[in-house]
Amino acid sequence: MSHRFATVWRKEVFLAYALLLPSLIFLAAFTYWPILRSFWFSLHDVALGDPRIFWLGAENYLRLLDDGLFWKVLGNTAFYTLTTIPLSIIVALLLAVAMDSKLRGMAIYRSAFFYPVMIPSVAAGMVWVFLYAPGYGPINEALNFLGLPRLDWLYDSKWALPAIILMSIWKYSGYFMLILLAALKLVPSDLYEAARLDGVGPVSRLLHITVPLISPTLYFVIVIGLLHSYQIFDYVYVMTQGGPADSTNVLTFYIYQNGFQYQDIGYASTIANTLLIFVLGLIGLVALTLGRRVHYMGER
Amino acid sequence: MATVTLQNICKSYDKRDVVHDVSLTIEDREFMVLVGPSGCGKSTTLRMVAGLEDITAGQLVIDGVDVTHAAPQKRDIAMVFQSYALYPHMTAYRNMAFGLMKTTKLSKAEIDSRIHEAAEILNINDLLDRRPKELSGGERQRVAIGRALVRQPKVFLFDEPLSNLDAKLRNRMRGELKRLHRELGLTVIYVTHDQIEAMTLGTRVAMMSKGRLQQVGAPMDIYMHPANTFVATFIGSPEMGLIPCKANGTGMLSHTAFQAGIDMGQAGLPDDLILGVRAEEVSLTQGIGMARGRVERTELIGAEALLEVAVGDERITVRGAVAGAPEPGTEVGLDFDLSRVRLFHGKTGHAIDLQVDLQD
Repeated sequence: MSHRFATVWRKEVFLAYALLLPSLIFLAAFTYWPILRSFWFSLHDVALGDPRIFWLGAENYLRLLDDGLFWKVLGNTAFYTLTTIPLSIIVALLLAVAMDSKLRGMAIYRSAFFYPVMIPSVAAGMVWVFLYAPGYGPINEALNFLGLPRLDWLYDSKWALPAIILMSIWKYSGYFMLILLAALKLVPSDLYEAARLDGVGPVSRLLHITVPLISPTLYFVIVIGLLHSYQIFDYVYVMTQGGPADSTNVLTFYIYQNGFQYQDIGYASTIANTLLIFVLGLIGLVALTLGRRVHYMGER
Repeated sequence: MATVTLQNICKSYDKRDVVHDVSLTIEDREFMVLVGPSGCGKSTTLRMVAGLEDITAGQLVIDGVDVTHAAPQKRDIAMVFQSYALYPHMTAYRNMAFGLMKTTKLSKAEIDSRIHEAAEILNINDLLDRRPKELSGGERQRVAIGRALVRQPKVFLFDEPLSNLDAKLRNRMRGELKRLHRELGLTVIYVTHDQIEAMTLGTRVAMMSKGRLQQVGAPMDIYMHPANTFVATFIGSPEMGLIPCKANGTGMLSHTAFQAGIDMGQAGLPDDLILGVRAEEVSLTQGIGMARGRVERTELIGAEALLEVAVGDERITVRGAVAGAPEPGTEVGLDFDLSRVRLFHGKTGHAIDLQVDLQD
C-alpha cells in the first residue's frame, strides 16, 4: 500500500517539475543569468561592443561611492518614489471610495480615471511635454488665467522633477484605483452601516474601517508601486533626458547613460546591482514595518 | 427608553412599492416582533426606523421627536445585524468601545466601566481581548449585543439576529434575549421570519406580508384569532388546516366530506367560506365522526404524533397519541372542537366572526 502510494507521489512530483521546466528555463535564461552576468560585469572593465574585459575587483563599487552624480541620482529616485507612491495611492484611494458609491454614471468616471493607464508611456510623455510647454502649454495658460506666474516646468531644475511626479500620479492613480476598488467591494456594507449607526463620521470610517480592512491590498499596491517607481525610465527619456542639470536623472536613466551613452557596461552593471539591492532592501523594510500591520479578513 | 411611532410609513424603489402604509406604535419597554416571510418588507421597515433607508412617505417619531429624515446617529438607536457586523480587525473590547470613543465625550474610565458592565451581563468577560474570528457564532452574537448595550440607546433594533446560529444555540440565545429584555427593561424592535421566535419573544407581534401589516397583537391573540388566512397559516406549527366550503341559503356549510349547520344570526355571509382548524382542535374518533378523512402521513415527534389527514382534497394536521397512531392509508373519523374552529371569507381570506355549529 505505502509502496504504491510512494510511486504515485513520485510520479506526481515528476509531472510537476516537467510542467514547471519551460518557465524555469525562460526565467533562468532571461532573469537569473543576466543578474549573475551583470554581477560578473560589475567586477570588470567592460566596454560596449569590445570583447576584451579586464578584472577590476571592487573598484567599480568604490568608484560609485565617490561618484557625486550617483548620489544625486539616488536622491532624485528616492524623492520621486517617496512622493509619487504615497500621493498616487492617496488619490487612488479617494477616487476608489468615490467610485464605490452607488451614484449613476460611475462606470463612465471609472473608465475615465483608468484611461491614462492604457496610454503608452511614450505617448503620454509627449502629451505632457506639450501640456508643460512654457510658451503655449495649457497648464501655463491655466496658471496665467488664475493670476499665477507661468513656470518653465521641464526646463527649470526646481520644477522638472515635480512635473514628472505630477504626471506619474496622473498615470498610476487609475491603476491603483482599480485594484483598491476591487478590495473595497469586498468590505461588507453592514460594517459601514454599523459605524453610521454608531455615529462614526466619514473620515473616521475611512481611516478606522476602510483602510484596515483593505490593508492587504494597500500593502500590495505599495510594493507594486515601489517596483514601478524604480523602473521609471520612459518619461525621463522622452521628457527631459535627465536634465536640466541632472535634476530629473534617476537610477535607470543613469544606468542607460553609463551603459549605452558612455559605453561603460561594467559601471552600468555596478549601478544596476546596487539598485537591485536597494530595492530589495526597501521592500524588506516595507514588509517588516507595514507588512506586520496588515489585517487579513476571514480565516487565518 | 422610549415610544416609537410609525405613521403611514411607505417605501418605494423606482416606483416599486416595498412597504405600504405601515402604522405601528411600539410602547416603552415593549418587545415588538416584526414577522413575515422573506421579501415582506419587515427588514426594510426596520432599516427605515434605523435611518439606513430613506422613508418615502409617512412619519417616524421616537420619544416624541420627529426623526423621519434624521441621520441614523441622531435617532439614539442601536442595531444588531444578522451578520453581527463586528469590525474584524478590532478586539471585542474595541468593537464595543469604538462608537463611544468616536462619538461621545465619555472618559476612558466611563467607557471601560460600561463595557465591563455589559460584558458581565452577557457573560463575555473572558473574551474581550479576542478578535471576531477567534469567537464562535454565539460569542460574536453576544459581542454584537454588547456593542448595542454600551450605547445605552432609547431603542434596540434586531435584524434576524439568530438566523446564523444552529438550532440549539438559537434556542438558548432566545432565552437570553428574553431575559435581557425583562431585566434591563429595553424597548426592542425585532425582525424575524421565524414564527417561533415571534411567538416566544414578542410582547406583541406585527405580522407583515407583501409590504403590508396584516395583524398586530399579543402572540396568543394572533394565534387564537388570526385576522386572515395568511396569518392563520404563518403563525403556529403545525400550520392551521384550511378547508374551503360552500354556504347555501339554508344555513348549511357543505363540503364533499361533511356538512355543517351554521347559525344564520348574521346576514351577509358569503357563498364561499374557508374553515380553519388547528391540529389540537381536531381529534380522531373511533366512530363515524363529524367528517371522514384518510391518513396520508404519520410523523412521530416524541411525545405525540402528527397526522396529515386528507379531508376531500384538503389536508389538515391532527395531533394524536403515539401509541396506536394509524398507518398511512387508514380511513379515520374526525371530530372538530366546535368552540374553537374559525371561518374565513372564501375570496378575501378575512376572518369572519361567527359561531359555527357543525353537524355530521
